[in-house]
Amino acid sequence: MKVAVLIKQVPDTTAKVGIISGSVDEGAISKWSISPYDEYALESALSLQSGSGATVVAITLGPERSSKSLIDAAAVGADELLHVVHDGALGSLSLQKALSEAVTRVGAEVVLVGKQAADTNSGSTGPGVAKILNYSCVGLVSRIEAGSDGFEATRSTPSGIERVSVKLPCVFAFDKGDVELRRPNVRGIMMAKKKPIERITLADLGVDSTGEGVSTTSVDYPPEKPEGQRFEGPDSAAEVATKLREEANVI
Amino acid sequence: MSTTIIAEQQEEGIHSTLPQLVHAASVIGGECTVIIPGGGGESEASEIVGVDRVLKFNGSCFSVFDSQSWSSALKGSVGGTVLLASTPRGRELGASLAAELGMSVVQDVTSISEGINVERPVFSGKAIEKVTISSPAVITIRANSLDSAGNGGSAPISTIDSGEDLRMAVEEAITKASEKIDVSEADIIISGGRGLGDVSNFEKLEEVASTLGAAVGASRAVVDEWGLPHSMQVGQTGKTVTPSLYIAVGISGAIQHLAGMRSSSYIVAINKDPEAPIFTVADYGIVASWEDALPVLHDSIKALP
Amino acid sequence: MGPFELRTLKGLDLSGCTDIMGYEALDFYDVDSLLTDEELMIRDAVRGWVDESVIPKIENACREGVFLDEWRQEIGSMGILGAPLKGYGCPGLSYTAYGVICRELERGDSGIRSFASVQGSLAMYPIWDFGSEDQKEKYLPRMATGELIGCFGLTEPDYGSNPGDMVTKATEDGDSFILNGAKMWITNGTIADLAIVWAKLDGVIRGFIVEKGDPGFSAPEMKGKHSLKASVTSELVFQDCRIPKDRILPGVKGLRGPFSCLNNARFGISWGAIGSAQACYDSARSYALSRIQFDHPIAAYQLVQNKLAWMLREITKGQLLAYHLGKKKDAGEWIPEHISLAKMNNVDIALEIARVSRDIHGANGILDEYPVMRHMANLESVKTYEGTHDIHNLILGRHITGIQAFTKGA
Ligand SMILES: Cc1cc2nc3c(=O)[nH]c(=O)nc-3n(C[C@H](O)[C@H](O)[C@H](O)COP(=O)(O)OP(=O)(O)OC[C@H]3O[C@@H](n4cnc5c(N)ncnc54)[C@H](O)[C@@H]3O)c2cc1C
Ligand SMILES: Cc1cc2nc3c(=O)[nH]c(=O)nc-3n(C[C@H](O)[C@H](O)[C@H](O)COP(=O)(O)OP(=O)(O)OC[C@H]3O[C@@H](n4cnc5c(N)ncnc54)[C@H](O)[C@@H]3O)c2cc1C
Repeated sequence: MKVAVLIKQVPDTTAKVGIISGSVDEGAISKWSISPYDEYALESALSLQSGSGATVVAITLGPERSSKSLIDAAAVGADELLHVVHDGALGSLSLQKALSEAVTRVGAEVVLVGKQAADTNSGSTGPGVAKILNYSCVGLVSRIEAGSDGFEATRSTPSGIERVSVKLPCVFAFDKGDVELRRPNVRGIMMAKKKPIERITLADLGVDSTGEGVSTTSVDYPPEKPEGQRFEGPDSAAEVATKLREEANVI
Repeated sequence: MSTTIIAEQQEEGIHSTLPQLVHAASVIGGECTVIIPGGGGESEASEIVGVDRVLKFNGSCFSVFDSQSWSSALKGSVGGTVLLASTPRGRELGASLAAELGMSVVQDVTSISEGINVERPVFSGKAIEKVTISSPAVITIRANSLDSAGNGGSAPISTIDSGEDLRMAVEEAITKASEKIDVSEADIIISGGRGLGDVSNFEKLEEVASTLGAAVGASRAVVDEWGLPHSMQVGQTGKTVTPSLYIAVGISGAIQHLAGMRSSSYIVAINKDPEAPIFTVADYGIVASWEDALPVLHDSIKALP
Repeated sequence: MGPFELRTLKGLDLSGCTDIMGYEALDFYDVDSLLTDEELMIRDAVRGWVDESVIPKIENACREGVFLDEWRQEIGSMGILGAPLKGYGCPGLSYTAYGVICRELERGDSGIRSFASVQGSLAMYPIWDFGSEDQKEKYLPRMATGELIGCFGLTEPDYGSNPGDMVTKATEDGDSFILNGAKMWITNGTIADLAIVWAKLDGVIRGFIVEKGDPGFSAPEMKGKHSLKASVTSELVFQDCRIPKDRILPGVKGLRGPFSCLNNARFGISWGAIGSAQACYDSARSYALSRIQFDHPIAAYQLVQNKLAWMLREITKGQLLAYHLGKKKDAGEWIPEHISLAKMNNVDIALEIARVSRDIHGANGILDEYPVMRHMANLESVKTYEGTHDIHNLILGRHITGIQAFTKGA
């Protein structure tokens, strides 16, 4: 069984995100990491590898620097590495097509992704790739187990959690699970260095990146918040509740 | 241009965000169709001003949330720009539909204006992305970001039966009693300090927390003195947290405490001392004793629409 | 900086205050950009481990005076023990990588780094360099994984800086050696499965492998340390301790044996001390930015800035020293005096940085809420072991003048 893990390299969640003239200043980002939910997907793939002998293929799409995330994946045990090299913006549809082609190319019938990437916070990739490939899709997954003819996945629901069974081929989009992520050891790091990375372009996959009618015009800092407001007496709490909904929009 | 809204179910009814989605549809303009995939709430939907028709889908596939079969079932009835709520399910179904229909998807939008121009927070709120949408796309909208359309309409309701098959089966569903959320992961935190007077009063915070889906945190003083778990402690020697809302109850706001919560998007403080330093970082400071103010806050939150 | 970071506190400018989002390693000259990708990955792995498994547990371990067994297991499974040794299941990394590992471990605590130094440089290394083929195969693979712990017995109650005068003795008895004497201040002693013991056989210093459970061998723990509290320090006592003949290290005679080990360990310490210094600087900087006195963060005052600038200067020099020494060690172009200089300098500045950092923290500096007092106390040991500061001065003095000044009127 081949398991593909789709990995995105994003600014580390502790890194400062600076903006110059309407776009993110990528050069100033101090640390890039594998997007946190993708790490859970990777961890699950690696348990399939040790549990049922699956071959784990890590796939990333992004500029040159993103190959580091593949090496990191190899250091914890990914078997094969595929880098779709692409620099610059890409619409969600082209991105999903490219990743779907990549999955087909490696021949994976199980695809693990994070439920959303830490930079764009979208969460479109898993379900989109599933649709394009006509695979089943389970989202918000915290764990999966291989069964006799398919998988059982635990996913969260508005009222709790549920265990669903699904046949292959399937895409699982991972939430944070209650598993501990493995850390690379020296042996893994040394082997990762030697592991070849297959590098291909969108053109190799037959995908073009022309506009989709959706374009980012700018990225800005969020607006400054107004000065703090002071309220006297317990009854003012009612007004605060309303403001939390209407002004701050946080509840 | 026309719009199609895919409504979500919420506890046997229609999701409270539907009027907000209808408002977004009115900004985009054109005919507005509301699709209800399984479940109920069609008459509620038909009464929202601005809805032109309601399509209620029936079929066995709607018994389980399955984005792939749902998007296959719905694709024939969807036209124009598609709107969903930016809930976990809304986003998954939205992405699936977009791919089904060969459109782009723009998730978690917090503002929308003609054009179509939208804004969405990225980098967990550290930045705002502005996006222009010039051809039909799927857009998911964050709850409570937009105004709501009013009531008083009466759109016609029709029913469609779908023969689509499910691609998964539920083996076991577990309803979880609102589980304790860890402060380092929570989007809303309510923390208590020495001003609570007694450790048993943390129960009052728990109650508010369960209404808000919040985690309960604590100042160091009470962690040390009342033996609460260190994992609850917010501050320099505890957790550094950046929730979207932090409610500090009976906490003075020592610099070591502020160090751990200063970067929360919004801070509410309840303290009876008007000079308490916590007020210097509070967006909404309530000068009152918590015994009086917290119940009012709790009731008012529960009473919000 | 985004607006969310620009909260002002009632008339006080807090714009310089960044939130404490975890340790930011000071690297003013981007010295780490000289590391290989592999060395950087190892750095990040060890750093992540220290953040998750050392920092949250270290204060408690120090209070109780224990080295957690989970640290042994986890360090073992990271595969970093005996870093620069090749073959026999050892990692085979560069000396520079070994240095980086020591630096990251010691940022957590000198006791953790001591564990790894002793295991790798003082116990595995002599077996690897001077052991028989059987000895290497028997011990090294299981030591590399942390399954077996080793210690190194050189210092004696009456002989520290001058180990050449040691009194521990080995005698031959049929197919055994009999050991008599005592060693003192032995890191890992009580928890060790084997000890590399230096003793005189017919007046010549030789290395012996003594295993836990050998008759006549005991290793009671020394208690009451104010320093390196999360590291085990023990006595090794030999009372007619009988070991098989094949436990002698065949490959070395004389002080060269223990000194070769010490060269490697001292090299690691020259990097490790920088880790402690970085931790103390990091804490001082964030404390100075958030502590408000006379209406301003104390970081706004020149005297405090002077202290921080001095720390930055010394750490940066220390980093360059350690890095360059690493390159020399990897190229095989080094002399022991190079190592003496780096060990002495970097421990010295780290200790002084810890003290100045403690000062910046005011009274808070004495609490175990902050790592500085712990590092400061630890570094007092680090200054003394592996050749005291002044012994390294004497080594350099001899190198400069050609005159040895260890003994008077020789
Ligand atoms: C090295 C160090 C590290 C520290 N780290 C942390 C840390 O990580 N986190 C942390 O929180 N602290 C930390 N502290 C402790 C910090 O300095 C404060 O002592 C602590 O935060 C105070 O907790 P408190 O606000 O609950 O209590 P207090 O300071 O005693 O404040 C209680 C507040 O409750 C108000 N109050 C009383 N009764 C009522 C009522 N009925 N209704 C409403 N308000 C009422 C009072 O007006 C007062 O403002 C640290 C201290 C040191 C020295
Ligand atoms: C926590 C800890 C762990 C240790 N672990 C180990 C271990 O694992 N294995 C091991 O074998 N040893 C270990 N040691 C021992 C350590 O190596 C010795 O303490 C060190 O070599 C110094 O010896 P001493 O303590 O006997 O001091 P001494 O040699 O008595 O020195 C005392 C003072 O005299 C000075 N001095 C000595 N000779 C001269 C001179 N000729 N001229 C000028 N000044 C001089 C020294 O610089 C020092 O200031 C450890 C020590 C400590 C504190």
